[in-house]
Amino acid sequence: MLGSLFRNPLRRPPRQDAFDATLLGSVAIALPAPAGITIPAPCAAVLVDRGGRSRRLASGSRIAALEGETAWCVHPGPYTCDLVPFAGAPEIGLHVSFAVDASDPRATHQRFDLFLASEAGSAVDLAGFGALAQTALQRELAQGNLELPPCTTLEEWNTFRSGFNQLMYTRFGVTVDDCVPVDLGATHDYPALLEARLAAQAVLATPAATAEPAAAMPAEAFVPACEDARALRRLFLELPCLMCAVRMAVLPADQGRFRQHQELLRRLDLVSLSVGTMPALELAAPGQPLAPEEQLRRARHSRRAAAALDEAWALLARMKVAGEGPLDVLFDEADRIVANLEVETGARRVTYVQDEVTA
Amino acid sequence: MTAPVVEASCRSILPDGSMLTITATRRPRAGRADVKCSVPGAPAQAERMQHVVRLARHTEPRYDSRDQVVLSADRALDAATRDWELAAVLADRIVRGVFQAARPVVANGWSDAWHLGRIDGRALVNVPDGVLAGGPDALPHLGALTGQPDPVAATASARAWFPLHSGGDHDGLGWVEVSVRPLAGALDADDDAISVADLDALRQGQVRSVLAGARHFDGRGQGQWKTTVRFGETGFSGDSYGLALVMADRIARGREFMARGRVIATGTSSAWHAGKVETVDALAPKCALILREAGPGDRILLPKAWEGALPQGMREALRARGASLACVERIGII
Repeated sequence: MLGSLFRNPLRRPPRQDAFDATLLGSVAIALPAPAGITIPAPCAAVLVDRGGRSRRLASGSRIAALEGETAWCVHPGPYTCDLVPFAGAPEIGLHVSFAVDASDPRATHQRFDLFLASEAGSAVDLAGFGALAQTALQRELAQGNLELPPCTTLEEWNTFRSGFNQLMYTRFGVTVDDCVPVDLGATHDYPALLEARLAAQAVLATPAATAEPAAAMPAEAFVPACEDARALRRLFLELPCLMCAVRMAVLPADQGRFRQHQELLRRLDLVSLSVGTMPALELAAPGQPLAPEEQLRRARHSRRAAAALDEAWALLARMKVAGEGPLDVLFDEADRIVANLEVETGARRVTYVQDEVTA
Repeated sequence: MTAPVVEASCRSILPDGSMLTITATRRPRAGRADVKCSVPGAPAQAERMQHVVRLARHTEPRYDSRDQVVLSADRALDAATRDWELAAVLADRIVRGVFQAARPVVANGWSDAWHLGRIDGRALVNVPDGVLAGGPDALPHLGALTGQPDPVAATASARAWFPLHSGGDHDGLGWVEVSVRPLAGALDADDDAISVADLDALRQGQVRSVLAGARHFDGRGQGQWKTTVRFGETGFSGDSYGLALVMADRIARGREFMARGRVIATGTSSAWHAGKVETVDALAPKCALILREAGPGDRILLPKAWEGALPQGMREALRARGASLACVERIGII
């Protein structure tokens, strides 16, 4: 059933006409490249086939895409962007400069290429990439996996930096060259932001005053088919690479740890299998359509599974930074994340939920 | 990391003055629903409780599907009262270790927007001492339990904690809350934009000069904000609350990194305009108090001069509990 995912009409095909090499390196990190062009000087080309396998071509050569391959032109950078580590503190930020990693000969799979294959719909622009990085950073800080407390000392800052560098490398395949705290007061004016919030609330309050006080959560607006396909594609492509990396990240010290590690990999394998055989979103059974609200529920579970996948990459980064000491904590986290993946993929498969208060 | 308890309870005062107890139990999920609720004789209220707890979980950054939490009320609830909602949410958090309370919690409050963590109000009129009361004038949202600003409100407010007296056995931590609202008109920086309720005139002047100095150091925040300062308890002594006040102000104005838990600070300065933090008295009793009170995620800020004289093993004890400590000589970025 997953084959239908890649033929999904809702996924926009990469636009072939909009290739503008001058954007690369400034506002765009990667652009879909038409076949036949010569790769301009500092860039490299990444070609991804339908199954997610990728290969790189060096600059100067001609892009010769095989049947079914999509080509991107990637500028290595360096790029700079400002990230806001805490949503509640918009006037303090991090000024980050990073570069796309050159092809690492030791790795069989470049992480940035995987990012392109699984997450980049078409072009990857710097602003969109910055937003993704910021979300990943904010989540790690909120969960307490990275710490950036008030009046950070130099020692704490160095610990944060090594964790952050590893997070960016493991999650996105980019290397952070420099990262300094900055005052964003000039660009992110907090008083103005609060004024805007106040105005938005005033607009919202007018219709709500007449309606009954709704205790339910407002429904989020998203297209289930797009969201579901995107999340499942990510899971399908990234889980095998993640398993491979988890296998290599930990060298079990004793029998108990070895068992724990094996069990974790086995469960991840089953999740991966479950994703690979996932029923189509819109069908309850062959030839039997599924109700729209159930489709929405399924898409929501896919999205939450993809969020658990993000957490898994972040955990992998922590495993790489950590020594032997905190492995118990990390394995417990891994257990939690895998359990979440199992629950969400399981809920994605079912056609209806029977939810009882007293179950 | 401390292991979460498997049973916890939280109480609430019903309209007739009796005490409701909501008991939460955590057990392996085994394919069951994530939250199960029971209210004797009122299945509709049990359903409502499950709904409230599930919505409130949306504000948590960490999701764990491995456990089931069973919540049970010890008496029937009628449909008209909603004041138990906060107690149910807190019981669910305490049992999973998301919120750690030092002493048994009695809480009253209801909300129409639990998924945002907002607490809209309470029905309880006379709030006895030690009761957590929800509502804009007391505990406006769940994050305020650890002093965090509400990410969706138009008023930014943050709290920081400080030792009320000079430490010791009978001392406790009190909080100071700074709320800022954008100042719409083009007023120039005058002190009247900072209002300090329930303090005497001398103390009010002190608070204003501390904030004015710290904002001068910052270079921003002068003439931009309408500020309200509140203290959890007004019977505190000395001026060692200064650092806590300045940190709460900086966090409220969105100019400081944040701790996951509370910010606990003691320190003063004669030159806030230069961002300097100076030493205060009573090192040993204050450290003992802080060591007693600190919880996971808390951030403790002490004057730099204390660094060499800290009690043996204090840093390690705090780190084991998930709190962190820094001795600072200046406020601001590193």
